[in-house]
Amino acid sequence: MRLPSSPVLKAGIQSFTFHDGGGPVLERIGVAAAPGTLTAVLGASGSGKTTLGRLLAGWLTPGAGGTLHGYLELDGIRLDFGSGRAEGDGTAHHRGEPRIDPAAWGRRVGFVPQDAAAALSTVRATVAEELAFGLENAGVPRTAMVAAVERTANLLGLTGLLDRHPARLSGGQLRRLAVGCAVISGPAVLVMDEPFASLDAAGARELAALVRHLVASGTAVVILSQVIDRLLLAADQWLVLDAGTVAAAGDPADLGPDTGLVPAGIRWVGEAARAAQPTALAIRQTATAARVASTGNTEVPATTDTAAASRDSGGAGAALELRDVSFSYSSDGSRTRYKGRLLARSRKAGAAPRQPLVLAGINLAVHPGEIVAVTGPNGAGKSTLLRHLNGLLRPATGSVLVDGSDIAGRAVGETAAGVGLLFQHPRDQLFERTLLREVRFGLDRMVGPAQAGERAAAALAAVGLEGAAHGHPAELSASGQRLLALATVLARKPSIIALDEPTVALDGDGLAVLDAAVRSAAAEGAAVVLVTHDLDYAQTAAHRLVAFDGGRLTDC
Amino acid sequence: MRVHPLTGLAAAGSTAVITTAAGSWPLSLAVVAGALAVSTVGGTARRLLPAAAAVLVPLSLSLLMVHGLAYPEGRAVLAEWGPARVTTEGLGFALQRGVQVWAAVLALLAFSFSVSVPDLVAALNAKGVRGRFAFVLASTLTLLPAIAAQAARIRTAQEARGLVIRRGLVHRAAAFRLQAVPLVLALVEDAGTRAAALEARGFSSSGPRTSYRTVPDSTAQRLLRAVLLLAAAAAVVLRLWAAAA
Amino acid sequence: MSSPSLTLPSPAPAAARRRRLLEILGALAIAGTYVYLVLNQPADITGGPGSASALIALSGFLVGAILLIVAVLPGLPASTVVLIPVALVLNIVLGQFVGSTLVPFYLDAIGTVLIAVLAGPAAGAATGALSSIVWSFFNPTVLPFAAGAALIGCLAGLAARYGLFRRFYLAPVAGFATGIIGGVVSAPVAAFVFGGTSGVATGAIVSAFRSMGDTLLAAITKQALISDPMDKAIVFTVVAILVYALPRRTWYHFPFVRRHHVLAGKAPGQAAGQDSTPAS
Repeated sequence: MRLPSSPVLKAGIQSFTFHDGGGPVLERIGVAAAPGTLTAVLGASGSGKTTLGRLLAGWLTPGAGGTLHGYLELDGIRLDFGSGRAEGDGTAHHRGEPRIDPAAWGRRVGFVPQDAAAALSTVRATVAEELAFGLENAGVPRTAMVAAVERTANLLGLTGLLDRHPARLSGGQLRRLAVGCAVISGPAVLVMDEPFASLDAAGARELAALVRHLVASGTAVVILSQVIDRLLLAADQWLVLDAGTVAAAGDPADLGPDTGLVPAGIRWVGEAARAAQPTALAIRQTATAARVASTGNTEVPATTDTAAASRDSGGAGAALELRDVSFSYSSDGSRTRYKGRLLARSRKAGAAPRQPLVLAGINLAVHPGEIVAVTGPNGAGKSTLLRHLNGLLRPATGSVLVDGSDIAGRAVGETAAGVGLLFQHPRDQLFERTLLREVRFGLDRMVGPAQAGERAAAALAAVGLEGAAHGHPAELSASGQRLLALATVLARKPSIIALDEPTVALDGDGLAVLDAAVRSAAAEGAAVVLVTHDLDYAQTAAHRLVAFDGGRLTDC
Repeated sequence: MRVHPLTGLAAAGSTAVITTAAGSWPLSLAVVAGALAVSTVGGTARRLLPAAAAVLVPLSLSLLMVHGLAYPEGRAVLAEWGPARVTTEGLGFALQRGVQVWAAVLALLAFSFSVSVPDLVAALNAKGVRGRFAFVLASTLTLLPAIAAQAARIRTAQEARGLVIRRGLVHRAAAFRLQAVPLVLALVEDAGTRAAALEARGFSSSGPRTSYRTVPDSTAQRLLRAVLLLAAAAAVVLRLWAAAA
Repeated sequence: MSSPSLTLPSPAPAAARRRRLLEILGALAIAGTYVYLVLNQPADITGGPGSASALIALSGFLVGAILLIVAVLPGLPASTVVLIPVALVLNIVLGQFVGSTLVPFYLDAIGTVLIAVLAGPAAGAATGALSSIVWSFFNPTVLPFAAGAALIGCLAGLAARYGLFRRFYLAPVAGFATGIIGGVVSAPVAAFVFGGTSGVATGAIVSAFRSMGDTLLAAITKQALISDPMDKAIVFTVVAILVYALPRRTWYHFPFVRRHHVLAGKAPGQAAGQDSTPAS
């Protein structure tokens, strides 16, 4: 039999091309995952790591999903694709070309996509049944199925949630359920795409412990990530991708930040940043300090003592002011009103408890030129707070003042001219055919056509997307879409910029661009509020930190 | 004893068919009353009545308008305004047809508002057509609220970008386009991910399947289902035979 | 190695033949029912409530629609099956909304036509039929229209197959033609099953034709010829706007779009010689 160290999954990819007429998205990549090891595939947004992960997991099948030249090998069975053949038109089916059976492949290789909700079947009414879906289709007897569900739920900490409707899970629980669906059949390999994105510290810790457990019990785990954290520092091997090909590979110890082998698009965070990159962090902190000093020189009040002063003076001259704002979702909950109502016809609908206050007497003043970070765990209501700034949500009591006037009773679309809000999911905010049209949207009416073109071009240049001005927004990488959404905000030159979780979906390069753009907007007099669960980032990016938990703000 | 979802479906379906075949208003009225009674006992009447009204009120008004005002075949004229003639035959036809449709609609709605969808899906769970039909049914019911919520999220995101929906058909149509594009794009993308996820979990596999959820069934219910289907078929055959004779 | 093969066998031609047979049977059931109803209608309506015709319309059209679903659904790739619920939601949400207003349109086929354009006539027909059946869960009156909805989906797919979505101005034309055929085929259902229409606005139009002495079927057919072509022209235009707003990468995930060059734009691969029509 096989030696324990010999790889269970191997791939040799000469090239992989989608059927969209574009060039190859992957070229010259070799990867092998051995049982009981952790492999990190690192790459910036758009580097091709998701495509690679889906190919490895059988989610993207050669032939139907694109044209592969190369081979995939699982359990010692090697499948060769497109060998020695002329380039087809993509639709022609090569005679004799193997067609992967996704179900058989899926039993051996599990995959957890970045958007965990999209991996669910949508046809199972409880977490337990969702977990069992794959086993049902494989014809596993019911007793074995019940045992497997129990075991998997135990492993993932889902035992208490087995009877809950999947639509009612939180983000972290949903991610764990998606992992459970992938591992319940006991796969030899588990591929996870950005598993830590948008998880808070507690959620990330639990998931990291789960990964270590799976590796220790003999699973070959492959993690695709644009962020290097403590878990990935301890990986057995790294494969660094850049523009669809291997930039570096090998032992993490040989690929430290001082070697320069890891592209700048890949971020080092948390302990990874402190352990592996003390110099870089120090540079960032000095840079922040220098910037604070320089903004101080240009008479923009941004230092801690002005912040303290603003608290004392009750926010006179503030661009944005929240006065004693309280808010709660009503008991039939606009937040939960739609979720699973048709399937989970609850008989005790009227007995829902009174919702606690999400915001309980919030006071906050942000001055022109100031960058304030609001930090707190997932689910604390940070996004709810942000939605009060432009009137998407209205306070139950208290008032929100923009440039000194109350926004109560003003349409959101009108407030938006002064308050630019950047959402967590940029694709909700984008709707035009080209980047340029996207950024110009609504500008014509605001400043006239001539200036609109100028401003749109400038805003695109500010986020480094001027080269793609005539492309389709949806064809950008996730990071690029986020930056485009930022450009649409910047082009309006709002007096207040509000950012929801800026580190999510942005790679290192993107975050640097965002930082620079936000700072220059602040230097020109915009007040910036950003909410994030990423304390490290908040410390480097903001002039002032405010902690948000239990509906209240406390200064850090 | 719990009613198996397929027994409920057979009962509602055959009731609708038999009522249509019989075409007699006393029977139709009895079915209307029976369906309302079943849903009241089952505690679903509060949700059923608005849904039924949304369907039946416009339909009944339309029937009254069509046959009440214009029934050229009618002889007994009750009133006449210009081209409009109210006839006994027309009103009778409208009422007769209306009650018949009411009976079929209420019988079917009484089923769909009382059935447990997960049980129905589990009862249909199999490979091939039945499994895929169950998937389409259950997935639609799950996605309906989720997509409505997603559309609302997109609208708020766009309002935050300065979109102000003004009155007037043209503005509304333009706003519809702006909101539909990201919605459809996201839905198509998510569907691609879901397709891959389902395939990897054996959605299309051809082997036998098992079910985690158990739906109690009994010989008596199986027998009842067979009887109900036979009765419906018999009613159709009898009616067609009578019409031909 | 105890695990089964990792690859799929080649598809069996026998299953494809059986499905083709079912498709033809379904189409015949629908066509036969329509012809029978049109030939036999005059005697029925004056002879009192014609529940025999209602039964024939119901069973013939429903059996045809179900045969089509049985023929098409198992053969569709998962990527299309997963899109069908999405299409049904679009149909239901927009149809429910428009149906409740005083506009003589329905706009209840946007999802169906979208699937037909992306995945072809067979998928379109199955989506149309499934849409009626699933929707009947909340509104049983749409159930008898399953055959008409399947026909709309099939015709939209054929329009896409033969390039009518390649030019933007051809889409409403194709929709208009589809609406004529769909309206004429659905009219007997409205006439014999319901004895009228399900909306007040459409009812007023039928009433006007009836007062001029038309038979019920003729009046409803004429009403359908007023409403349906416009309705479908709007639906096809909306779908054309939507698909052209999507990025090319999204279309080209669908083999039907690639193979038949359904939408205008650079063909992928360029080397393809079998595309019947070059890009604009």
